[in-house]
Amino acid sequence: MAISTPEHVLRITPTGPPRGTILFVPPLFEEANRTHRTLVLAMRALAAEGFTTLLPDLPGQNESLVPLEQVDLASWQSALAETSTAIGGPLIIASLRGGALIDHQAKAAAWWRLAPVGGASLVRTLMRARVAADREAGVTSSLDSLQAEAATAPLLLAGNRLSPTMIAQLATAEAQPVTPLRTVALGSGADDIAGTPLWLRAEPGEDTAMAKAIAADIAAWSTTCGIN
Amino acid sequence: MTEPDTVDATLRALLADVLGLGEERAAALTEDSGLFGALPEFDSMAVATVLTEMEDRLGILIDDDEIDGEIFETYGNLLAFSLRKVTD
Repeated sequence: MAISTPEHVLRITPTGPPRGTILFVPPLFEEANRTHRTLVLAMRALAAEGFTTLLPDLPGQNESLVPLEQVDLASWQSALAETSTAIGGPLIIASLRGGALIDHQAKAAAWWRLAPVGGASLVRTLMRARVAADREAGVTSSLDSLQAEAATAPLLLAGNRLSPTMIAQLATAEAQPVTPLRTVALGSGADDIAGTPLWLRAEPGEDTAMAKAIAADIAAWSTTCGIN
Repeated sequence: MTEPDTVDATLRALLADVLGLGEERAAALTEDSGLFGALPEFDSMAVATVLTEMEDRLGILIDDDEIDGEIFETYGNLLAFSLRKVTD
């Protein structure tokens, strides 16, 4: 589905001419809110290092006027591809979690992914939240009954009304190969970033040190890829 | 990953991550510490996140019909359930 509504883009720019642009692809659904503040802190740090940084709203999310149930992973992929082609100069795509499922159609000089997650795991958690909320409300539902329901009609999962197409695409979605790509996880190894998995957090938090580590890792990857 | 101490440590780290408890509060959890209904952060979304993370980090699969309210009543119940699952 082609979606032409222009979406809001958060843009933080350097004071001088930019070295390049970092286009952040946020985590999906509630995980985007939980990581937003830390992500924006990383954007500020990258802007201080001379990068233009962008964080677009996905259609159907945040300030978007598009109803969420009208979008799916394919439309998010093309929206990001469209955003990327409008950017001049060297571009790095930086995706977090489920963002890695929709970043591969973009045109970029390099990709960077933090803790990519499969779509099946995301949809399982959303459905479980619905089952738990139903149970509190005295309604009996199960992953099976929700899956059956999702085959034919939009399903409300933790505040997100998702179309049958979206749920079907999420169920099998994996991060796709792109080059050059650097994938980092949380941890203490060479290809890890120290920090907390804020995307799991029940209440939004902030991790200043992790924001700095994200910015430093992306800046170093940019240099490795010849973007100075 | 089937050692009881490992399961206990994994579970505490997981609850610290999801509920934002911090290391100290997570380490201070006892068998009788209340979870769902006792910790304000522990809502239905947190329950869902904990279940998915338990599957990932403990290498187990959890079916719908295995989950009842009791599992999340106390830390001891959640630990007992996890230990049963990893030795299954």
